[in-house]
Amino acid sequence: MAAEKLTITNLNKIFVNANGTEVQALKDIQLTVHEKELCMLVGPSGCGKSTLLNIVGGLETATSGEICVDGHHVTGPGADRGMVFQGYSLFPWLTVRENIQFGLRVKGLPKSRQKEIADKFIELVGLKDFADALPKTLSGGMKQQVAIARTLANEPSLLLMDEPFGALDAQTRLIMQELLVDIRQKMETTILFITHDIDEALLLGDNIYVMSRRPGSIREQISISYEGKRDHNTLLRPDFIENKRKIMEMLWQDSSDAANGK
Amino acid sequence: MSVFVQLLTRSLETGSIYALMALGIIIIFRTSYLVHFAQGTMGMFCTYMVTVFLKTMSFIPSVFCGVLSAVVLGMLVDVLIIRRANGVSHTGKQIITFGLVMIFLGIAPTIFGVDPITMPQFINSGDLNILGATISYNGLFNIAFVLVVMLVLFYILQKTKFGLAIRATSANEATARIFGIKTKNVTMFSWALGGVLGCLVGVMIAPSSAVTTFVLDSVFNAACIACIFGGFQTFVGPVIGAYLLGVLKNLTVYYVSSVWGEQIVYVLILLFIVVRPNGLIGKKLVKKV
Amino acid sequence: MNAKAIIKDRRFQYIIFGLILALVPVIQKAGMMKTSTVLILGSVLIYSIGTIGLDVLLGDSGLISLGTAGFMGLAAYVSAYCTTVKGLPFEVGAILAVGITVVIGALVGLISLRIQGIYLAIATLIIAEILLKTFKELVWFTNSYSGQKVAYPKLLGIFQLDRNSMYLFVVVVLIFLMIITENMKNSRSGRALNAIRRSEVAAQAMGVNLLKTRMIAFMYATTFAAIAGVLYGGLVNFVYPSTWILSLSLYFMAAVVIGGNRSIPGNILGSFVVFGLPDLVLKKLPVVSEMSGFTMIFTGVLIILIVLKYPNGLIHLPVQVISCLKKGSSRKGGEGIHE
Repeated sequence: MAAEKLTITNLNKIFVNANGTEVQALKDIQLTVHEKELCMLVGPSGCGKSTLLNIVGGLETATSGEICVDGHHVTGPGADRGMVFQGYSLFPWLTVRENIQFGLRVKGLPKSRQKEIADKFIELVGLKDFADALPKTLSGGMKQQVAIARTLANEPSLLLMDEPFGALDAQTRLIMQELLVDIRQKMETTILFITHDIDEALLLGDNIYVMSRRPGSIREQISISYEGKRDHNTLLRPDFIENKRKIMEMLWQDSSDAANGK
Repeated sequence: MSVFVQLLTRSLETGSIYALMALGIIIIFRTSYLVHFAQGTMGMFCTYMVTVFLKTMSFIPSVFCGVLSAVVLGMLVDVLIIRRANGVSHTGKQIITFGLVMIFLGIAPTIFGVDPITMPQFINSGDLNILGATISYNGLFNIAFVLVVMLVLFYILQKTKFGLAIRATSANEATARIFGIKTKNVTMFSWALGGVLGCLVGVMIAPSSAVTTFVLDSVFNAACIACIFGGFQTFVGPVIGAYLLGVLKNLTVYYVSSVWGEQIVYVLILLFIVVRPNGLIGKKLVKKV
Repeated sequence: MNAKAIIKDRRFQYIIFGLILALVPVIQKAGMMKTSTVLILGSVLIYSIGTIGLDVLLGDSGLISLGTAGFMGLAAYVSAYCTTVKGLPFEVGAILAVGITVVIGALVGLISLRIQGIYLAIATLIIAEILLKTFKELVWFTNSYSGQKVAYPKLLGIFQLDRNSMYLFVVVVLIFLMIITENMKNSRSGRALNAIRRSEVAAQAMGVNLLKTRMIAFMYATTFAAIAGVLYGGLVNFVYPSTWILSLSLYFMAAVVIGGNRSIPGNILGSFVVFGLPDLVLKKLPVVSEMSGFTMIFTGVLIILIVLKYPNGLIHLPVQVISCLKKGSSRKGGEGIHE
């Protein structure tokens, strides 16, 4: 049994509105991500997935509960947790290589080492010809590749991804998914990935947590084990389809409960 | 010819003052996403502090202490008020700066009295004669001083690690935090800097009029217009806008109307942004959903 | 409509409020109130008009305008010029005053509302400064520092008002405008404003024209400021340039925020706290009346406190306190976090 990389225990998050009313965004979340695992978080819109990820990343704080990464409590942002968002967060005045070097530069690594590491990741995501390009000349998919490379260059213990391919068109999304599979094989990174795309979750994930609508809590956990490489054929496997049916039914049930005011 | 030189130096002097104030506004704007409407009034307060120090110290040490008090004041405002406003809406944060304006507008006359106070100049007397035009040494000093301050600030921004932190925070705060940048230090620095620049501007313009509660008001307005003129998207835009504004204002005041010159230029700039909404160096704003 | 529905109707409550306010001249005539108090109360009610208009802009659209004082002054001067200098009837002066102010406001709005919200704040700041300079320089128009005299209005050429009847006229206008605003908020424009406040992008997706709706809000605020200006001249009988300074615009904003935005009763409460409290109460206190800047400090501190702690303003304070008390006994777990 692989070691636990991330454990979330009894996590709650309550927002207070300007007029004093309370909104519970997350309720009693229990979640474990093991080392080298790609853990998926699936749920309807507004269920709090992004909030949960932000809390793990240290951008927001929980109202109560514990988050431990490699046995340490999470209190704020840190180099051990990298984040990739849906929107493009590249620094527009830096080139691709300079963007990827950014975290290393903040850490204070010598310039030669920065370049060495950056080049390795530029190679990994396949952007060697664009190393000196500015973000505005890149396509959406390429920007996300740079964002991923930039985060990985910092060698985070845990990679947090918030619908990173959501803004990309279908073709690019497939390419990026294959890229992610590739990266995982080479780097054995632990990933917590948010998506509302069930296919994406079942294709890429080792472990899937299905969240309920607000207040977001964990409805179900599904373990995935396909033998062999994951590719477009995986989408047609019977166990894939069975899991998809299960998840869809859960989400559908949730939304009809919402419509009926339950 | 002498008119030209006179106008040129006066423009540079005015432009320098506006540029320094505008730089304070834009740095705070790009890191805290706020227009610090109280920058003028807080600068005015610190200028008054300089007059207090002048009672016991000579000029340069007094200015230095005034600047220190501006640093402390700016940091206090950031820590005690701005940081507490994390959950407040954007408009709400803006309104807090108006609250600060009122507080300092009220405190200044209460502590320092309502009579105008004179402020000595950096260089007390002496004029330079170039091509028939008379320029005071003090005026030249002001121009040079501002240039030096701005060069230092731009150097910090472009070449130092902290400057990188400032630029990263101004580009994308969440990303900056994730990569380990202490954005709290960045915002505290910019608020302290705003106070310092306001104080320096006050010390530079007070000699020609007097230290009153309203001494920095027109400079602040001009600096805001400079930011609109130059564009809020870059650090250098408002500075360029400020110098250009100085030139335009002095030209208009001399050749068109000495009473309405300033106002005419302001209206022209407001019309200018109809055509070019993002200012001289404006880039298209991408609204994130 | 049954009696209960009528009583619950906001508009009916406003009328009752107006009737109570109308008792003031009676109290004054009976010798229980100073004439200066009537004047102060009347001014507060006039300022309330400006506050209500500003709230539509600030509370509903979240846009900041620093031009309220300038527009109010412009309308006051135009109306004063028309009646005192040119001898025109009060109504003509009022219409010209509001009309000219609205046109200038429209130009400012069209220029700045296309870009970012903050541009409106800066543009109105500049325009207000230009207007102030105009008031000081154009002696033929404003009589500058000597002040422009304004007589009490003569309504419809027949009813010559005096201080008490002018006060009543102000009350009537205020209640009328309160009812109109209440109606507007429930109308299509009002709902559009509300939608924009929640999410600009979502509102646009629903077909709300951003610029048009912002313009409507800004025009609303400008018009109300202009009406307030006309009434001001009529009640106070003198218009000076030094009244129309930036600080006044800040006070208006304070009144909206402190009283409670998006609430007409809140606007009235805020105006009383910001414009009434200092003159009626604070200036009479011993130590406080010595401090020349006290009103400013007081209002400034209050504004910051309200924004940080009670963003919905004083009008909602009782409700919040009650719900806090209710919750205090039943809530377990961690504290709420402002978001």
